[in-house]
Amino acid sequence: MEGILAIWQRDLTKFFRDKARLFGSFTMPILFLLIFGGGMSGTMESMMSAGLGEEAGNFNYVEFVFPGIVAMTLLMTSVFSALSIIEDKDFGYMKEILVSPISRVSIAVGKMAGAATVATIQGVILFLLIPLLGLSYDFTALLQVIPFMFLFACALSGLGLLFASVIRSTQGFQMTVQILVMPMIFLSGALFPVNNMPAWMDVIVKVNPVTYGVDVMKKIMIDVETLSPAVIEAMGLNITVFGRQVTILEEILFILGFAAVLVLLATISFRRANA
Amino acid sequence: MEPIIKVTGLKKSFKKKEAVKGLDFEVQEGEIFGFLGPNGAGKSTTINMICTMLAPSEGSIIINGYDVNRQKDKVRESIGIIFQENTLDKKLTADENLKLHCRFYKVPKEKREQRIQEVLEIVDLVNERKQRVETFSGGMKRRLEIARGLLHYPRVLFLDEPTVGLDPQTRAHLWEYILRLKEKEGITMFLTTHYLDEAEISDRVAIMDQGRIIAIDSPKALKSELGGDIIELETENNVKAEEEISRRFPEAEVTLQDETMYVKVPDSDAFVATIIKELTAPVTRLNIRRPTLNDVFLAFTGRKIGEAEEQGKEGS
Repeated sequence: MEGILAIWQRDLTKFFRDKARLFGSFTMPILFLLIFGGGMSGTMESMMSAGLGEEAGNFNYVEFVFPGIVAMTLLMTSVFSALSIIEDKDFGYMKEILVSPISRVSIAVGKMAGAATVATIQGVILFLLIPLLGLSYDFTALLQVIPFMFLFACALSGLGLLFASVIRSTQGFQMTVQILVMPMIFLSGALFPVNNMPAWMDVIVKVNPVTYGVDVMKKIMIDVETLSPAVIEAMGLNITVFGRQVTILEEILFILGFAAVLVLLATISFRRANA
Repeated sequence: MEPIIKVTGLKKSFKKKEAVKGLDFEVQEGEIFGFLGPNGAGKSTTINMICTMLAPSEGSIIINGYDVNRQKDKVRESIGIIFQENTLDKKLTADENLKLHCRFYKVPKEKREQRIQEVLEIVDLVNERKQRVETFSGGMKRRLEIARGLLHYPRVLFLDEPTVGLDPQTRAHLWEYILRLKEKEGITMFLTTHYLDEAEISDRVAIMDQGRIIAIDSPKALKSELGGDIIELETENNVKAEEEISRRFPEAEVTLQDETMYVKVPDSDAFVATIIKELTAPVTRLNIRRPTLNDVFLAFTGRKIGEAEEQGKEGS
């Protein structure tokens, strides 16, 4: 436990010390919020609520996209934080960790928790923009979503750990992550609903873990009960797998399982590592 | 007494090449054990296996009574390592680096402060404690690494080429610290180096070449095994001179290296007096000295350490 905490704390200390990274990491989500939340919201709203008829007025695109952009921030930060593993290998610090008696599981969990904490902090900071965007989410809903954000970020940073354990160079890691992260966002329902996709793309949507993370966040943050089935349909909040609608609990369990599998894989890779 | 390190039949093969071809040796508690050999001799591979970083292909290693293959954590707790390359976190302060190490090695909370102070005193870095490591010079970083390696009171401290990349003055200082450490803590030290003069401080030296240990003993014994003094001799006709020396002094061992003859004789005074008078080829340079470990290496392999390194590079 002490080992996990030490590794976790080191990554946090380094994150807060690196001011450029701290500020740089906010530019992307803010840019997306400006584009999707401000500039394009009218277009997106009329496109997505086209079939709603008189209920179109109940559809607020910014309210829909905000959790998606928070999820996107989680994804980017979590996965990119795994870069610290490659840096540790390059700068030799990984050797200090690997020759120490810390169990390999602790190394994986510590690294995962560090990246997930940083990502969650960034996601929560974005909440400050809620009033500026003219949105109002239920305060308890916001508090409820934070633990899930952390869990979701754990799963995503596990993905980063996996990449970092196979890819040796910083450049290679950035390339791979960029290639993977963009489709993971676009095919997740974060920015627009993904309910009317061609069959092959639908498969990608359904295996993409981000889909479920985004869905859970939206279901918690957006007051779903007050919305009519038609609006829920338009927002794509009724994901079905094999013709059965998934529940929020199943989605959370899926993310949990996903995170667990990735910790296991990362542990194996640390066990084999001869940094 | 049980040896603190016991290596039996240790082998390691990589895809194409057998890097370590069967080592057997023991290190006694409290000694400085030098591991000497050219780059590419298999030193780093061996040290990595001993430190649990690399799985041996064959053989066993016991450290402090624990098996390196099966009790990795126990072995890791028993050893401290100063790697060839820097492994400090440069973005953190000296203090933070040391505190992290305490946590990695489960040093009890109430003892941490005292130990950090203690090891910083040993390496003279008490005043730099709150500074970030990136502001440190190369020598300071090395010292901090040594301090860190000592924090958890390891039974054995491994120093893998600890002075590589340091200027001669810093190197000399570093050895002072290391010797001070041996006196104060009585810690066992396992040292690899390819600087021969540095290996001289060891209690015992193992000379490694091409994956094998070719000699193992105290530097003094190794050198006296060579017998007598070394005379470096250069003449205008080395071939002829060699012939004449062999005829006049059948007991002398002559090795010809480039332009220089290395002659090993039991009694250098008589030898020099004679050859100056009797050699027909004029002597251009003459130097008498006590044998060094380089001569030991030369005697065992027929090459100097520097040359062995170049051959190693061509081979790799």
